[in-house]
Order: sequence, then structure tokens, then C-alpha cells
Amino acid sequence: MSGARLREGARAGLIGGAVFVFLGMVGMIANFAGLSLVGSQVTLGLVLMLLPALIAAATAARPRVEAGEVRRLPTPAAAATGIAAGAVTGAVVAAALLVVEVVTVERIRSVFVSVSPTLVGIVAFHRTWAVAAAIHVAGGAVLGAAGGAYRSLAPDVRRPVAVGLGTVLVLGLLQRLVPTILFELGLRSDWLYSRTTLGLTWPGAGLAFAAGAGGWVIWRRRRRWQPGGPLERLAEGERATRIALGAVVLVGLLALPLLAGSVISEILGLVAVFLLLGLGLNVVVGYAGLLDLGYVAFFAVGAYFTALLTGADIVAVLGTAEPAFSLHLSFYAALPIVILLAAGIGILIGAPVLRLRGDYLAIVTLGFGEIARIVFASEWLQPVAGGAQGLRAVTPAPILGIGFRQPQRFYYLALAACLLAIFVSRRLADSRIGRAWTAMREDEQVAEAMGISTVKYKLLAFAIGGAVGSLGGALFAVKLSTVQPDSFTILVSIVALAIVILGGMGSIPGVVVGALVLMGLPGLLAQFEEFRLLIYGAVLIAVMILRPQGLIPNVRRMRELKEEERLQDAWLRAGEQAGEEPEVAVAGEEARP
Amino acid sequence: MTRAATEGLSGEGVGLRRVERFPIRRVLLVLVSVITALFVVIGSWKTLTLPAGRGYSAGAWRDFLVLGVAQGAVFALIALGYSLVYGILRMINFAHGEVFMMGAYASYFFAAAYGRSGFLDRSPALALLILFAVAIVVSSSVAVLLERVAYRPLRRAPRLVPLITAIGASLFLQHAALGLFGAQTQGYPRPDALKGSWSILGVPVGRVSALVVLVSAAMVLILSYFVRSTKLGKSMRAAAEDQEIASLMGINVDRVIMLTFAVGGVLAGVAGVLFALRFQFVHYSMGFAPGIAAFTAAVLGGIGSIAGAALGGLALGVLQSIGPALFLSGFNVPSPFQLKDVVTFSVLVLVLIFRPGGILGREEVQKL
Repeated sequence: MSGARLREGARAGLIGGAVFVFLGMVGMIANFAGLSLVGSQVTLGLVLMLLPALIAAATAARPRVEAGEVRRLPTPAAAATGIAAGAVTGAVVAAALLVVEVVTVERIRSVFVSVSPTLVGIVAFHRTWAVAAAIHVAGGAVLGAAGGAYRSLAPDVRRPVAVGLGTVLVLGLLQRLVPTILFELGLRSDWLYSRTTLGLTWPGAGLAFAAGAGGWVIWRRRRRWQPGGPLERLAEGERATRIALGAVVLVGLLALPLLAGSVISEILGLVAVFLLLGLGLNVVVGYAGLLDLGYVAFFAVGAYFTALLTGADIVAVLGTAEPAFSLHLSFYAALPIVILLAAGIGILIGAPVLRLRGDYLAIVTLGFGEIARIVFASEWLQPVAGGAQGLRAVTPAPILGIGFRQPQRFYYLALAACLLAIFVSRRLADSRIGRAWTAMREDEQVAEAMGISTVKYKLLAFAIGGAVGSLGGALFAVKLSTVQPDSFTILVSIVALAIVILGGMGSIPGVVVGALVLMGLPGLLAQFEEFRLLIYGAVLIAVMILRPQGLIPNVRRMRELKEEERLQDAWLRAGEQAGEEPEVAVAGEEARP
Repeated sequence: MTRAATEGLSGEGVGLRRVERFPIRRVLLVLVSVITALFVVIGSWKTLTLPAGRGYSAGAWRDFLVLGVAQGAVFALIALGYSLVYGILRMINFAHGEVFMMGAYASYFFAAAYGRSGFLDRSPALALLILFAVAIVVSSSVAVLLERVAYRPLRRAPRLVPLITAIGASLFLQHAALGLFGAQTQGYPRPDALKGSWSILGVPVGRVSALVVLVSAAMVLILSYFVRSTKLGKSMRAAAEDQEIASLMGINVDRVIMLTFAVGGVLAGVAGVLFALRFQFVHYSMGFAPGIAAFTAAVLGGIGSIAGAALGGLALGVLQSIGPALFLSGFNVPSPFQLKDVVTFSVLVLVLIFRPGGILGREEVQKL
């Protein structure tokens, strides 16, 4: 048995090592080494260096189903497997360092631009090769032992540890948000966050860990009788709790820009715009099951038509000029027109592609999205849409004379739009229309046989999704006061899709969390910006493979996705508890072999 | 039964029949096709009757055609990759454009080094062979890795799931290349032997265009021999027909799928070098537009068919290089070639609406 286990461990270690080397070569390790999480020692770069060995070991030592039973390995065997995985990971890294040593950094750098002396210094701990190699192999073995042993523990011990570490990580990542709020509340923050490294202090990290782990244990003890994970339960939760929670969240949301200052409000405004996109796309993808990759078209339509209806300038040979078509409506008069227009365009785009399904629909809608961008950017429409330079000086949207361009004010406008969209989505999901969408998504033919007009409901999904997306576009135009075709590439569609997928298709809380994580986190941490899209790509793959129902699943949708599994494994209840921890899915995107 | 009830029933019957008698969809489709046809005919007519100074000369059209054929040959090679994978997995490998980009980018480093050392000009044939080999190795490795990591765990998942994964993989590979190789556009050297043009039947044809067409044609022929006559090719076709029965016949379907990705990668690698030689640059985002265009070509020709992909590639290449000038110049659209991709996507949409099986494809019995 042990031979097979060790081989498995070594295999996981090879993959872990490859991931480590990739993270280094792509520039993540060096870049994130500048982001302190705890004290001056633990940076996000260091965490990235630790994770491959840990995760490789934990994967190699995971419980297996043998003869219909979930078998956890005994701790010594798990640790041994883990040591193999970790040591091999370290050995791969050492080998990569040897290559660098022999070939020299400069020559590698002429091909792989991110392999810098800084990176090599970080990975080799500023030591000679032999010492660094020894550290990597030995350290990898220690990490592997920890990772393997962790996997052999009972869930009652494992979960609090994971939640505690997750809390530390999240608080460490929110190092720009939390201290600002504490400061505005008149509280001291230097016990929690260091002023020099900006990360958590060691006592602060200890407190965070204790709070996270302790909170989990207490929560667990009170709710032990309920099945399912805590997030799923929250989604299903009782009415009173939810109303109370909703009230608290609303007050928090209203107070947030006052506490967090204008920089963070700016980020929150962007999060809100993408939240709108996510909510709209959620109607199309999550509810109706139509994968729309051209969603950016509605965003563009919203932005351009808002600009044209409220008044904007185009760049002319001499200074700026009035576009060939423009009205000077107020923002609030233009908004309904824009939304109706976008809904109409949704129907127009939807009508010819009604018969297409799945991947063909995705590609055709992608085509529509690109057509929209190219046409808006073309010289042909230059007199109206301003060509590649786009439109400038979009009329702002004031309420009672108060301008909304200022980030804090804009936040309230965007928040109102988001709440409206959330309300509409919720009501739709529970309505006859929402049920028709569900039926259609599950099986079109059966839905049709039950008397549901799939034509009508598909067009309705496109129209409503388009309307919400255009609302996002309208806000985007007002926020930036410029509208440029570069802002409307396919990437916007993919980001919106990633938001929906990460959160969970068809789940509104999921979309909110998705937007906060995918748009908020990179906004808060400048170091993320460079790798944002790389991480999104990894998130899309990882979520689809590991947790297709998303972080906060729509209960019904999850049951659909898991139906068969559940039927098969009904007698394997114990295995259900081996689900993924959310923070692993967020932080360990591609570190999973 | 009361009179009212029977009337109600018959009334409903009339209503149903009336709905059937007025097929909105078909009317819409006819309208769309008439408008498209009118647009194309009037546009071409107006362009061809433009006054001498503003229109295009016969020579210009001939050059458009040659460039279009060369462009189409590259599309055809990439399209084959989509087509092969779609044939077996019924899945659009959205990341195939990135597989193409990886091959081109990897060969760039060799090309640049050979360009500096003069090897590229001294023995261009050998140098080009090495470039092709590098691109082939890298592209097919990336394709196989992609299949192993991103697609194999999802073999039995609902159809949307692997598609979303493929989109993620495309984004991931593109930005991995950005992180690995940097954001700048790199100039791809061209050997002296490929500069200038040959005169073929009195028509000047750029040497690179000639090379592109020749190599592509050779690759298509080799591929069709491989798929038709070798054992591996036969097992590929068997797996495309029915995976379950193929595995009952002793075919290792997982291996065949891996092989399919590898073959697609080989073609993409060759296409990558040809593309880079023709446009003389590599960039991390270079895979997206040709990828979509090639997918369009595969659909246009009939996805799943080798001849279809080749034909679709050529048709699309020519359409892209002639179309904007021919259809749009007549309407006084400034810089019509900016709208080249609009032509691509319009073709895609029209084909999918009117003839989802493509030119050579068979109509699939079940709906798309």
C-alpha cells in the first residue's frame, strides 16, 4: 500500500512543483512578495510559495472511497504521503533554480521576462543554490507532512483551522479597507494592522485566527442539526433572520462610503457597475440557461445611448464638437429610453438565434458583441459615436443639484440601481416567468410540451438581461464621463460571466459575492491588477471542475447539478462533508493539481 | 356538451391553425435573407461602378484575391483543429486560438535568434523546418495539457460546463503568455528567400503567400490521409461516431481524444508560424481574432469535416479580403477594412441561421 501512496504523493509533488515554477515564471511570486499579510515575514508571495506543497500533499493524502466507504488515511500514512509530495515539490523548485544557476538569469530573462534577479533572490532565500535547494526540499517535506496530516484529521478539528486561516487571509487582504473604517469610527487600528508593513500584526493575526475558528465552532454547535454547509443554509434560512440580516447589511451599505473614504467608494462604484452586469447576465445564463458571450453589447449600448441622449462631445479636428445626433435630456429622462432601447435590441439579437443552443449560441452572441464594439469604434460612425476616441464630457446625473460624479455620491446612485436590479431579479425568479425559465433550462422540449412558449420566454430573458446590462452601461458612462470603445471588449462579457459563475449560476447572493471578490479585491490591492485576468481564467476553470454550483449556490440549481450524485451517494452521507472550503476556492485557484 | 363549450373548442382550434398559418420565424428569415442579398448586390454594384479615380483597379482585386487565399489557408489549418475536436467531443475548444498563439510565440524566440545570427538567411529551408518543429511541439503540448487539465475531468458534465471552462482556459493561456513573455509586440523576422514575389501565370504572388498556401495544402492532404487510412485516424473517426461503441471495440477513447488534441495542436503550430511569417509579428493576444475567424470557417464549411474546414477557410479568407471593399465601399463607408470582422461575424450568424450544417456538413438530426 505504501509504495502506491508514495508514488501518488510524488506525482502530486511533480504537479505542485510545476505550479510553483509557473507562478514564479509568470511573475506572481515576485509581485506578491511586496504585499505583507502578517508581520513583515508573511507576504502573499510567501503564501504562494507555501501553497503548492501544502495543496499537493493534501490532495495526495485525501480520503478515498474504497469498497463503498470513505476511508481517511491514518495520520502517519497521510503524513508520509504528504512528505513525499512536499519533498518532490521542493525538488522540482530546486531543479528549476539549478537551471537558472547554470543558464544565468539574464539569458532566461530574454525569453521569460518575469524571471528577474529579484524573483530568484526571493525563491532562493538570497542563499547559494545548494542551501536554497536544501531549504526547499526540507521545507517542502515539513509542509507536506502538515498538509497530509491535516487531511487525516476529523472534520471537527479541520474545519475550524481552515476557517481561522481563512479569516486571517481575508483580513490580511482587506488591509486597506478595515483600518480606514476603524479610523473613521474613531477606533485604534494599530493593534490589528501594522503601520509599517500595512499587513496584520502577529497578535492581530492570532486574534483573527481565534475569532474565526472560535466563531465557527460556536456557529456549528448551535446549528448542528441542520444538513448542508453554512452558506447553503444561509441561502435557505428562516425569514426573521434574513430580514434582520438584510437590515444590518443595508445600514452597513449606506454607511460604507462615509466610513471608507473616496478611494474605496470609487472601487465600490465600479463593483456596483459590474454587479449590475452580473445580475443581468444572471437572468440570461443563470435563470434561462442561455450562455450569452456578447453581453458587453448591452453595456455598450447603455453607455453610448446615455451619452448621446444626455449630451456629450466628440473629438474633432479642432478641439471637440457636438455629435451628429444628440439630445439634451436629463439623465433620469434618458434612462427609461435607454433601457427600453436595450430591451428592444435584446429581442432583436435574440430573435434570429432562438433555435441555437449551448455553444453555438455562445459564439453567435460573442459575434454580436464584437460587432457592436467594432461598429461603435469604426470611422463610419465617427460623426455620431466618435470613432476610436469615443465620446467625452458626458452630462452628469445630478439629483436636486447634487452632482453624482463624486465617488461617494455615485456609490449611492449605483447602490440604488443594484438594489432595484436585485429586487427585480428576485421577484422574477419566484414568479411564473422564473419557473418557466427553470423549466426551459432543464429541458426545452418538455417545457414546450407543458405549454411554455420557449420563444416568448427566451426573448424575455434577452430583453430583461439587456435592460439590466444597459443600466450598468448608463451608470458607467456617467461615472467616467467618457465613453470609449476600448471599454467594451469581449473581456467585459467574460468578467461578467466569471462573476456569475464564481458566485453560483442563478444565485443573487452569489453574484454579489462574485462581484465583490472579482472586482473589489483587485481594486483594493494594486498588486492584483496585473494578474486579474489570469486569475479570472483560473477561477472559471477551477470553479467548473471543483464546484460547478459556485460559492453560494442557488439551492435549486445546485440540486439539479448534484441530483444524480446525490442519488448514487445517498448512502455515502459521510462523504458529503468532504466538500470544498470556500476560501480554498478563492485563494488556491490554480494551485490545484 | 353545451354549445358554448364546443364553440370555445373550435375557436381555439382556429386560433392554433392561424398561428401555424403565419410562421413568423420563416417570414423573418426570408426578410433577413432578402435584405442581406439586396445589400450585397447593391453594394457590389455601386462599388464596381465607382468612377475610375475612386474605385479599385483589376490589379487591386487580384491582389485582394491572392491575399485572401493565403489568409484562408491559415484559417483552414486552425479551423481543422476546431473541427476535429468538435467531431469527437461536440465541444468548441474556445482556447484553440491560444494554442495557435503559443506555437507562434515559441517559434519567435528561435526565429529571432536565427535572424540575429544570420542562419535564417543562410539556410532558410532548414531554419524554417526547425521553426515549424518548435511550434508543433509547443502547440501540441499545450493542447494536450489543456485537454488533460481542463477538459478531461468534465467529460460527463452538461454541455455548457466545458464551454465555460474553455473560455476560462482561453483567458488563462492568453494572460499566462502575457506574464511569461511580456506585453510588447515582437517583430517576427522573414528570411531573405521569402521576400519579394514570384510571378505565377503572370500574376504576382508574394513568396510568403505562396509558401502559406503550399504548406497548408500539404498539411490538409497529410491530415486527410492520416484520418482516412491509418489505424489511429480510423480510431479517431470511430470515436467521433460513437464513443461508447468505439470503446467496446477496444479503442482507448481517452487516448484518442488526447491524440485529437495533439493533431489539432500540430496544425495550429504550423498555422502559427505561417501567420507570423505573413504578418511579421507575435503578440500574446494574436490568437483571438484568427481563432474566432477559423471557428467561423469551420462552421461555414461544415464542422466535423476536413474538406469542409479547408473550403470554409478559403471562402472566409477571400470573403474577408474582398468583402469589405466590395460590399461597403459603394456605400461610401470610410475605411471599410475596419469592418472586416463584422463581415466574419455576419457570415457566422447567417450560416448558423440558414444552414447550421455548413456547406459540406450533413444536417444534424437533433437540434443544435
